Amino acid sequence: MSWQTVVGLEIHAQMATRSKMFCSCRRETGLDPNHNICPVCTGWPGALPVINEAAVRCAIRAAICLDCTIQRESRFDRKNYFYPDLPKGYQISQFYRPYALGGAISFEREDATADRLPLVRIHMEEDAGKSIHASDGTSRIDLNRCSSPLLEIVTEPLGMSGIEAASCVRSLRHLLRWVGVSDGDMEKGNLRCDVNVSVRPDASAELGTRTELKNLNSFVSIQRSVEVESKRQIEVLEKGGTIRQETRLWDQDLEVTEEMRSKEDSPDYRYFPEPDLPVIVIEQQDIDRERQSLPELPAERYRELVDDLGLDPKEALPILARRENCEFFAALLEAGLSATSASNWFRGEVLRHLNDRSERIDQYPLAAEAIAVVVKAVEEDRISVGKGREILQQALDEQRDPNEILSESGEQISDESALVGWITTVLSENPEAVNKIKSGDSKPMGFLMGQVMKASSGQAHPRLAQDLLQKMIEQD
Amino acid sequence: MSSPQQFPPREATVQEALQWISEGRCSSHDLVSRYLDFLETEGKELGAIVETFEAEALAAAKLSDKRREQGELLGPLDGIPFTAKMNITTAVGTTDASSAMLVGFEAGEDATVVRRLLGGGAVLVGKTSCDEFAMGATNETSCHGVVANPWDRSRVPGGSSGGAAALAGSHGWAFHLGSDTGGSIRLPAAFCSATGLKPTWGRVSRSGLIAFGSSLDQIGPIARDASDCALVLDCIEGADPLDSTSLHQLDESRDPIEKVALVSEGFGSGIDDSIREAVRAAAQEMEQHGVEVTEVSLPQLHAANACYQVIATAEASSNLARYDGIHVGSRVAADDLQLLYEKSRRAGFGVEVRRRILLGTFVLSAGYRDSYYSRAQAVRDLIREGVDHALEQVDALLLPVSPFAPFPIGERIDDPIALYACDILTVTANLAGVPALALPCGFDEAGLPIGMQLMGARGSDHRLLQFGQQWQQWTAHHRELPVGGAS
Ligand SMILES: [Zn+2]
Repeated sequence: MSWQTVVGLEIHAQMATRSKMFCSCRRETGLDPNHNICPVCTGWPGALPVINEAAVRCAIRAAICLDCTIQRESRFDRKNYFYPDLPKGYQISQFYRPYALGGAISFEREDATADRLPLVRIHMEEDAGKSIHASDGTSRIDLNRCSSPLLEIVTEPLGMSGIEAASCVRSLRHLLRWVGVSDGDMEKGNLRCDVNVSVRPDASAELGTRTELKNLNSFVSIQRSVEVESKRQIEVLEKGGTIRQETRLWDQDLEVTEEMRSKEDSPDYRYFPEPDLPVIVIEQQDIDRERQSLPELPAERYRELVDDLGLDPKEALPILARRENCEFFAALLEAGLSATSASNWFRGEVLRHLNDRSERIDQYPLAAEAIAVVVKAVEEDRISVGKGREILQQALDEQRDPNEILSESGEQISDESALVGWITTVLSENPEAVNKIKSGDSKPMGFLMGQVMKASSGQAHPRLAQDLLQKMIEQD
Repeated sequence: MSSPQQFPPREATVQEALQWISEGRCSSHDLVSRYLDFLETEGKELGAIVETFEAEALAAAKLSDKRREQGELLGPLDGIPFTAKMNITTAVGTTDASSAMLVGFEAGEDATVVRRLLGGGAVLVGKTSCDEFAMGATNETSCHGVVANPWDRSRVPGGSSGGAAALAGSHGWAFHLGSDTGGSIRLPAAFCSATGLKPTWGRVSRSGLIAFGSSLDQIGPIARDASDCALVLDCIEGADPLDSTSLHQLDESRDPIEKVALVSEGFGSGIDDSIREAVRAAAQEMEQHGVEVTEVSLPQLHAANACYQVIATAEASSNLARYDGIHVGSRVAADDLQLLYEKSRRAGFGVEVRRRILLGTFVLSAGYRDSYYSRAQAVRDLIREGVDHALEQVDALLLPVSPFAPFPIGERIDDPIALYACDILTVTANLAGVPALALPCGFDEAGLPIGMQLMGARGSDHRLLQFGQQWQQWTAHHRELPVGGAS
């Protein structure tokens, strides 16, 4: 039998607002535990939540780019349960009347065709704090994350593979980052995913019983957990067994899913309307205002890069990975670089620097204009490509202006008499290397070239120096 | 140096006391000092006052006297003593909602209402006892002990703002902040012969009020008369950025109330004869002064108490979840988390609070929610519509506050059904979100106070208070003091 795997996703994305969902604490990570809290987010007696309007605007933006129908009136509800990292004893969420219904995530199938995963709804809610369980058996509570603003995006079930499920989340993350709704950083936990998996004998059969896999925090775990869980279900069914509706845990190391709790044991959240908050009213004009302030979406930028600027689609993708990348790339063009050299230097240098430094482009200290000056010096043959790279690296390391380093380091020297002078010295100091080359072993060429560059303090024009070196060894 | 001190008569209202001060017959410092003496003696004997802030209050009164000298008064209540109920946060002292769970809890911040009053120069003198988490109609569930009714110390003062009302009923010069979820301002005001207002829901910020039933809770004044209540409301009402359910637009209408309707259901069986007669007599008195009095039936009232019990307990079960022994509230150590929760909550909460939490958890739980919570919400809509409809025909609805007179301490405390019956006439205003004013309207044969209440349309708080002032010019019930209370 050819089984079909059906996947539904519930994705929690922390919204990239300045402050939390219901108080004025900053939405920040990395602070000392319990140093970013106030009476409201820690549920002190008498403190009341107040809706962060910036979070609502952020949520509207998400709903617009996911093609949802935004509800004019929506409401918050309380989800009641006891847990130490939930200081109020309830989470403020939207259960009965979420602010956005419908919509879809565009994603790519394994065969590279485009498809859409329909959404059920999106709602706003607040995050809980964190419980830290130490190996000595003690538990500590950090409430810094309490009441951070979240979007929960719930999809319909759709037949797809593990790779495609991960592709959906990747595509969603890309879009949310692009429009500035979320940082989408899975490692930091500001994008988390629950996956519902079921299987059926073929695509036309009724949906099978699903199991839920909680808190997947990487693309690999999304992909692998779907693959492993669907395989498990198929094995059970082929042996004549049945699937129970339950929540399962994904063990990343062992690559197995384990039962956590059955449907009967799932908590009763006793939802009811949050009496401390008014109904949220989103008017058409609020939606229009957000729509107008949205940046060009990735699909439009892709067309510009590939069709208008003639970049290869492979080159365009890393530039499109984030909107900020695109903006930096545009600034390189603005500073006078050609599309090809902007693309080469952006991908070859800027992205490598960011990767080395584990930074995002908005934290990158070099300005596009300064990079362009160095690139132009290379293109005009005033310095070597290597020198150009070196200058940028040095500017990063020493936190200096690349132009300053460029002017100090002097320009490339093509003057033949100067080159001959450096080469003569190098040849006379390295007779063995010269002999090896003469006897047909070209390996020491690189070494000699390095010595020439060193002798010239990096200023020798590399191509001219290389040619001259070759010639002088042959004539020696 | 010291001249023999003079003080306003004990029953004097805030405005009369202010008259004395402005005429220089006594200072705010004298008044506050003397009032503190009253709190320390009779206030404590009644069990009404839990904490007093002598040093802070006397210093504040001194500053007020200085401001008065320099003609720089902060507001019409400058120099006047007031108390806050134990479930209203204050920067000074503790805020324990009269619960063992929170004993010693220092909120560190003033509730919006307190901040506004202090900003207007009023002097915070202490915190009053109340039923635990404001759940009760008798003030017998306070962890600080039973509060006595000043009119008969063997009887309950009503609850849950019993401490506040016991003080207002036995002494003037000051005003008191209470809270009302299902009658907690009006019932004790009626039992103690004080005047109390449950404002329109949203008119007064709830920021700093320890929540019981959030969609029903309102902070309001308890004082000697309606005109004092109006002064207090003027100071505490209005939008608050810390409470997003506080109203941004207040109905400022002061149109006189000309048409009043008796609510038939408030005069049926189950209501004491003496109370029915006293309120009907009050209606006749109004008629004699030109008020048009009619009668209206609000059959929804029969369902009001059941509806209230479901909604109030549901919200309470959630509002009180935060007292879990982990963050706020007393902790009983245990080996695992579940036990820690159970032990802490069992030790911290009294019987009545636990009963309501269980009830509220039940009515929201899967399988029962539709038959209880959802139905109660639907009934609440009907009640609101019924009240709104009735108030389209008349300016105010008139009915007794309590079906019976203050009863002996201990009589109903073990019988929740009998206890909840205290609320049958008051909960409607909370469910409908409308203002309701409790006014003294006489005494029964045993000399126990009787109160009536006027319910108005949402936003008509000041119209009700203005009518209350008129009523109190026609009558003198509110001037009475309990025997033995004279100074
Ligand atoms: Zn906060």
